[in-house]
Amino acid sequence: MTTQMKEKPPLGKIIVITSGKGGVGKTTSAAAISAGLAKLGHKTVVIDFDVGLRNLDMIMGCERRVVFDFINVIQGDARLKQALIKDKRLDTLYILPTSQTRDKDALTKEGVEAVLNELKEEFDYIICDSPAGIERGAQLAMYFADEAVVVTNPEVSSVRDSDRVLGLLASKTKRAESGSSEPVKARVLLTRHDQARIDKGEMMTVDDVLEILAVPLIGIIPESQAVLRASNVGTPVILDEPSSAGMAYEDTVARLTGQDIEIRIGEERRPGLLQRLFGRTS
Amino acid sequence: MRTNNANGRGGRASVSAQPFQIRGRFITAIAIRLGNEDFDAAFYEALDEQLRQAPQLLLDAPLILDLGMVPGLTETAALRGLVDQLRGRDLQVFGVQNVSDPQAEVAAELGLIPVTIGRDIPAEKAGNGGRRKIDKLLPPDNKLITTPVRSGQVIFAERGDLTVVGSVSSGAELIASGNIHVYGTLRGRAIAGAHGNESARIFCLRQEAELLAIAGVYRTSESIGDTLRGQSLQVFLKDEGLHLEALT
Repeated sequence: MTTQMKEKPPLGKIIVITSGKGGVGKTTSAAAISAGLAKLGHKTVVIDFDVGLRNLDMIMGCERRVVFDFINVIQGDARLKQALIKDKRLDTLYILPTSQTRDKDALTKEGVEAVLNELKEEFDYIICDSPAGIERGAQLAMYFADEAVVVTNPEVSSVRDSDRVLGLLASKTKRAESGSSEPVKARVLLTRHDQARIDKGEMMTVDDVLEILAVPLIGIIPESQAVLRASNVGTPVILDEPSSAGMAYEDTVARLTGQDIEIRIGEERRPGLLQRLFGRTS
Repeated sequence: MRTNNANGRGGRASVSAQPFQIRGRFITAIAIRLGNEDFDAAFYEALDEQLRQAPQLLLDAPLILDLGMVPGLTETAALRGLVDQLRGRDLQVFGVQNVSDPQAEVAAELGLIPVTIGRDIPAEKAGNGGRRKIDKLLPPDNKLITTPVRSGQVIFAERGDLTVVGSVSSGAELIASGNIHVYGTLRGRAIAGAHGNESARIFCLRQEAELLAIAGVYRTSESIGDTLRGQSLQVFLKDEGLHLEALT
């Protein structure tokens, strides 16, 4: 595998995982997507941009191995190689954790650019896990992106925030500002999808969400117990025991790498015939 | 590593050696417009009464004297007396506005700065009128947007019509001095005739708007009602009310 890497130059593609709203599953998705890409043999690094609210390292299960972080590298106190943490499960996966003690002001555009350029020399995919909100941290996470995955829950406030973020991707990114290059390729990842609640009219349908956001769908992740379980044991859901959410993330990753896979709506458990009948009548 | 650190520190030291930094600042000041040139006991009594009623408003606030209505006040002694009295009441006089040339000289002697920004309301109206005349001379400048308008975006067509091919999200705002056309779903706000053009109209393929306004007359989604929701329609002013009419 490593010899293969040396033969072809790295892809160096920067993908931001963003949403605007908090708690919709950005970090879970960033962990799952980066693990999925690494599993396919792509050399992948995932960067935590949520300075001060460090979470990614816990989801990835490497919180006890953090010595230097992203901010140390930006400020020149450590070399990039010292801060990168190699995943113990996949040898093509690296994590660049952030600082828990600093805040977003420690991020500078020049510093972020320098780190990303260095990573581009070596990695196929650079996944930027954006903080919630649309302030400095989120803007710098998206600024240098080539592609964006906008994580959205099927409910109105999440959709509106995602819409705002799509507006920023189209105006406040390097690609948007240079004007000459292609705009950031943005796609929606619908998480916490719950068909039963949609049928009851408690959640928005996929079509409603896509009609408002007007960008292509990259995947639908069903609401699943497996996600919370995986987070708590520090394993990306894609590497945990097989689950509908894990499979949905694998499909999403395949679509990110350019494969054409039909979107299917997974379910947590197949309800039995009786359950289905009751579900319909209630 | 070590040498790196040392270099870093050296760099920082040279930055902190800079003796000063220049920063823009906006401040809010209070203006006192003088009504007559006699600063007698009655004047100070009225001022003291004002201070008693609203001390927070005036005390310690930067204060400007507006001399626009007292062109005859050109004597240094008179102005100095006034300023001393005001300062004696803890009012921080620092400038003058609406001054004639001789008044500016007197003010300069007393160390008061002539302030030219911060026009009051009548002056602003005059300014707007002037600008509107210029606007009329300029050719209309219609705007065409072919991408979806996202939540939080504001699109402003200052002189002319605004056309959007695509939908307008909830939380987005369209403003035009002329008509607004939306070839898609209008979920945000549309404000046509923003400079007061009462014949401006709003057209949309599918109406789910948060707010529709023409020349300052508006309706929110609550008062638009559900019957016209999701319809193609046009909006116009008639008998000083906002009328919504389905396009068939």
